[in-house]
Amino acid sequence: MRFSEATGRQVVATSTADTVGRVDDFVVDPRRRAVVALSLKRTDGGDTLLWTDILAFGSDAVTVTSGDKIVDAAPAIIALSGKEHRLIGKRVLTAGGDDIGTVDDVEFDADTGTITSLLLPQGDVAGARLVGVGSYAVVVRPK
Amino acid sequence: MRLMRASEIIKRPVVTMRGDDIAQVKDIVYAAHGGAVGGFTLAGRGMFAGPMKLGLSWHAVVALGADAVMISDESALEATSVVFDAAVTGRGGGDVIGSQVLTDSGVDLGLVIDVIIAASETVGGQCDVVGYEIEASEALGTKGTKLLIPLPDTIAASAEHLMVPASARDFVSHDLAGFGAAVTAFRAQLDGAV
Repeated sequence: MRFSEATGRQVVATSTADTVGRVDDFVVDPRRRAVVALSLKRTDGGDTLLWTDILAFGSDAVTVTSGDKIVDAAPAIIALSGKEHRLIGKRVLTAGGDDIGTVDDVEFDADTGTITSLLLPQGDVAGARLVGVGSYAVVVRPK
Repeated sequence: MRLMRASEIIKRPVVTMRGDDIAQVKDIVYAAHGGAVGGFTLAGRGMFAGPMKLGLSWHAVVALGADAVMISDESALEATSVVFDAAVTGRGGGDVIGSQVLTDSGVDLGLVIDVIIAASETVGGQCDVVGYEIEASEALGTKGTKLLIPLPDTIAASAEHLMVPASARDFVSHDLAGFGAAVTAFRAQLDGAV
């Protein structure tokens, strides 16, 4: 699944069948090369849903057991959130210091949250090559 | 080995493996009497623009790429004085710009306009000064054109002149693409001549 298609998807609680939020952004931990949380909008409570609290990331909705799984972001999540840590639109540098393009979209495994590839106009980069996501660039290992 | 002009490295961002740009190259600190790059002085970026008290030694550089100088993290930076001390700066660095290149047979080849360096692509490798870009003199037949001239491992330099072996003029290049081979051929020829 791609970030672009999953953004805006509703988050539904299975206990009440209510829509409890919508996917706004993805919080990625570059060390684990995985999505660790979703940032949500239009919620009643917090704005963060941890990946481990997701029941299923389906093609039409993200399900959770109940709305109280949506919490305020913990410091560890905040540290990985925000513009500085966003992948989309950021330049990609190899560990050798060469600019190889800009991230158009990100493909991830809907079951595990693992980043499978970074989509660049110049070609895909395997998610396993991800090293860091910072204020200036996404750093990837050479092939 | 990767060839580049020293002037192209100025202002290149210094980026950590986490993807943060924590500085940019202000100037190059030469080592080994101008025969190698010892490190860099740095300037801040964005809202922290301006000279920094920290520098970067070549040994702490993970890679010198076409678009960024890569380092592991902030701890790679050291006090600028340490970078200078370790380099034991000799002549032959940025201050060669404008110097006259003379062959040991007394021919003026032209004036230095840039320094060509070769960065090793393996961590721990050297960053050598392998040539100069010169504005050619009449002796090279095309006065005023820019040419690349290879250097031996060590050269003699004074305030005005840089001495190169006369055979260097047989190995001039017009662009960086062919220059690596010219440097190798020139140095092999010098080794053979000893």
